Amino acid sequence: MYDDALHMPRARQGQAPDVFRPGGWVPMREYRNDEPVDFVIVGTGAGGGTLACKLAEYGFSVVAFDAGPYFRPLEDFASDEAEQTKLYWTDDRIVDGANPLQLGSNNSGKAVGGSTVHFAMVSLRFRPEWFKSRTVLGYGADWPLDWREMWDYYTEVEQALKISGPVTYPWGPPRPRYPYRAHPLNAAARALAKGCEALGIDWTETPLATISAPRGLAHPCVYRGFCVTGCSTNAKQSALVTWIPRALAAGAEIRDLAMVGRIEVDDNGLVSGVHYHRDDGWHFQRARNVVVAGYAIETPRLLLNSATDRYRDGLANSSGLVGKNLMTQSNQAVWGVMDDEVRSYKGPPSLAITEHWNYADKGKDFFGGYAYMSQGPLPQLWANTQASAHGLWGGPLVEEMKNYNHVVGLKIVGEMLPQETSRVTLADEVDQYGLRIPRVTYSWCDNDKRLIDHSLKFMSRALQAAGAKDLWIQEDDTCHLNGTARMGDDAGTSVVNADCRSWDIPNLWICDGSVFPTVGGVNPSLTIQAIACRTADRIRAMARRGELNRSARRSSAPISATTDATASTA
Amino acid sequence: MSRAVERDVLAGAGLALSVLAAAAVLAPKAGSSRIRSQRIAALPRSGPQPRTAVRAARRLNGAAGMLAASVLADSSVEHYRGSFKNRAMYTPLVVSALTLATSLHGTSDMRPLAHRLRDGCYLLAAATGLLGTGFHFYNVTKKVGGFSWQNLFYGAPLGAPMAILLSGLLGFCSERVRETARSPRPEMFGLPAARTIAAVTGAGLLGTSGEAGLLHFRGAFHNPFMAVPVTLPPIGAALLFNAAARGQGRAHPFTRAWMWLLTAMGLAGVGFHAYGVSRNMGGWRNWSQNVLNGPPLPAPPSFTGLALAGLAALGLMREHRDA
Ligand SMILES: Cc1cc2nc3c(=O)[nH]c(=O)nc-3n(C[C@H](O)[C@H](O)[C@H](O)COP(=O)(O)OP(=O)(O)OC[C@H]3O[C@@H](n4cnc5c(N)ncnc54)[C@H](O)[C@@H]3O)c2cc1C
Ligand code: SF4
Repeated sequence: MYDDALHMPRARQGQAPDVFRPGGWVPMREYRNDEPVDFVIVGTGAGGGTLACKLAEYGFSVVAFDAGPYFRPLEDFASDEAEQTKLYWTDDRIVDGANPLQLGSNNSGKAVGGSTVHFAMVSLRFRPEWFKSRTVLGYGADWPLDWREMWDYYTEVEQALKISGPVTYPWGPPRPRYPYRAHPLNAAARALAKGCEALGIDWTETPLATISAPRGLAHPCVYRGFCVTGCSTNAKQSALVTWIPRALAAGAEIRDLAMVGRIEVDDNGLVSGVHYHRDDGWHFQRARNVVVAGYAIETPRLLLNSATDRYRDGLANSSGLVGKNLMTQSNQAVWGVMDDEVRSYKGPPSLAITEHWNYADKGKDFFGGYAYMSQGPLPQLWANTQASAHGLWGGPLVEEMKNYNHVVGLKIVGEMLPQETSRVTLADEVDQYGLRIPRVTYSWCDNDKRLIDHSLKFMSRALQAAGAKDLWIQEDDTCHLNGTARMGDDAGTSVVNADCRSWDIPNLWICDGSVFPTVGGVNPSLTIQAIACRTADRIRAMARRGELNRSARRSSAPISATTDATASTA
Repeated sequence: MSRAVERDVLAGAGLALSVLAAAAVLAPKAGSSRIRSQRIAALPRSGPQPRTAVRAARRLNGAAGMLAASVLADSSVEHYRGSFKNRAMYTPLVVSALTLATSLHGTSDMRPLAHRLRDGCYLLAAATGLLGTGFHFYNVTKKVGGFSWQNLFYGAPLGAPMAILLSGLLGFCSERVRETARSPRPEMFGLPAARTIAAVTGAGLLGTSGEAGLLHFRGAFHNPFMAVPVTLPPIGAALLFNAAARGQGRAHPFTRAWMWLLTAMGLAGVGFHAYGVSRNMGGWRNWSQNVLNGPPLPAPPSFTGLALAGLAALGLMREHRDA
């Protein structure tokens, strides 16, 4: 059989690829298009993959669609940056604004498993206060979630992904021990540690979703550092090798290379299924509920593209907020060279971290926080960075590349504030499926700039203290995408409620990075997965009470009475 | 030879030697009792129990040899992995090879006399163990983060050089036991030999179990069998301490059985570690990388070495009322 993941769907005829065995297959349940399934999920990444697993395990019938291919990492991934661009979402998009985003490799994936297939595995919890940042810290927007409840869901995800982390975590309220031990530090991580110790702040080993000991058929990490181009050993605990196999085992169907173009709404104003493109044709899958989990650009795009006469501004958009408040995270860096060899690309790229400026509130001239981590750019990316961000070309570029083994760097993941002007709208151009493409508008606000300034100054001092020379600053880089369908307590000021259920259409849900009201200063995937686990629990509870068909506006009572979020976290 | 080839050869030789030696230590000694009785008959019989003492001494040589073999193989692999970055990293290979040879010599020596060279060599081994521990301690603390889990897990293993220290100690004990073949009771520095050795071995078991515990904690006890070497040996240690405290002239069948269990556990550990190696990327096909990456194959037999020492002590205790 011709078996090319990029061009021919693999999950069909009762089987799906076995990600743990080259050429292997596992059985997969299939549903007919005209058979209304309990849940259609659009996207199989951190949000969709997790939710598909949990809902299937709770006994719901689930079909999860992904526009991307279904890879077997052991045989499909090469240690080659150019080859692995096949993991990125590189469909046409238009970017503008004062600080246009660079889309693709550093923020969106297109594969079963979503962006987690090539993410950097950093798995952090929010600072508790961030769930009420408006009330407690005076900026952004409050979440409708209680941090204590989230603390338990974080634990569930950490266990499910066998996160390898430090024995004790220096910041925030106590958390259970990470299921696997931290990885050994590489020289780049030790440089971060040295800098922190010199400046008198805490650092620790980064909690990572890659295993430091065997787990089932997944091999432990081999420290070759190809993580952000896809892990070919299965050490990386992406959705592809964790939630998705569980989902299949529980009876979910995955449809790969299946692009959902439109959500159908029936005469009652409820969604009734999705139109999707697979095998050169459009099909319609009937469903009782639809969950959108396409990440913060594709999610609003699909909602907007599904506009009808009844919902002229797109689905779930009575608040007018679909697509608005797009937030990325600042990802600026300070680079230098060390006298000794560093070989920063050995091992996962961010083995050490400090969250000092996420938890310290004094000494800041900005709202929000940032973490910074050690770095390990692969050679092609590094050459690109030197050419674009450092402006080197020709002889000087070649000369600089000779220092590659001595390069050391620190990079932030910084909180950017939600602004309605940063947003996703529809352009008039269409893509290969004939769907209107997204226009992504982004501008930093003054607070974002102050945060970046602060971090660059601080990291420069830290890197110097670690002994690095010839420092230079990478001023413009961003990572992660959030917002665009925020959750909240009020239908007027949010798109979904705490259960990820749209206020407008009770059987339409959004469960991915789009629902974040704020982003905090940590990488988002752990929070996305925790929210998905919570959503699944809520859906099960509502189904048991027979509330799934009732309006979100009536059934959104919190499950626990604890909304006083941030007491006793300091 | 280039330095790299030299390293390969050295580590390879160390491994081969230790495997051979371990086999020799464990091999049933066919015909040896005949030689023994012949030789012993020729010796002056001044002490009450020369046979018992010499037999116990030879067993201890065997135990010391087993530990030395384990150290030789382990330090060959681990220091090879560390590219013999520091010249001192060759030391444990040389010393454990010497100790091994010495122990083999001891196991086939029937004379009730301590051997000066053996004594010297065992003392050297003990000193190396102490020094090595110092080195490893320095390596751990000088790293950024100092005395932290990270450095305990991934820095030079603090407990590893203890094995050669124990080998030296047991060997040294062996010579003392041998020496007292002609005195009224086997003793060391005025202490009853068997009970002292039982106590030293118990302490060794605890230490080795601690080392296994640390490294298995690093591996998150991902396989339930990883709990075995942190549960059985401490019980063995307690049994040995008990025997040492009030054991004279008793047979201690349960403690003996437990020692045999630990002997087997140490050997089975190699199998488990081999399975652990197979779970790394590429499995045994990629052995040249995974033997270095995976759980150390030669480490578990140090339990066997200690359990053999425990058996020697118990044997002496059974056969000699005041030992
Ligand atoms: C290079 C990189 C490094 C990262 N590192 C980290 C990190 O270290 N830690 C961390 O926490 N986060 C990290 N992230 C971010 C993290 O991966 C994402 O935040 C997370 O995966 C988003 O989850 P999601 O479910 O919202 O979307 P995704 O995981 O992106 O999943 C969305 C899926 O939906 C599919 N899809 C979209 N639209 C459609 C449609 N219309 N029809 C069918 N399918 C559709 C896409 O193909 C995709 O597979 C990183 C991201 C990248 C790109
Ligand atoms: S360094 Fe580890 S996690 Fe990263 S790609 Fe290699 S094996 Fe996978």
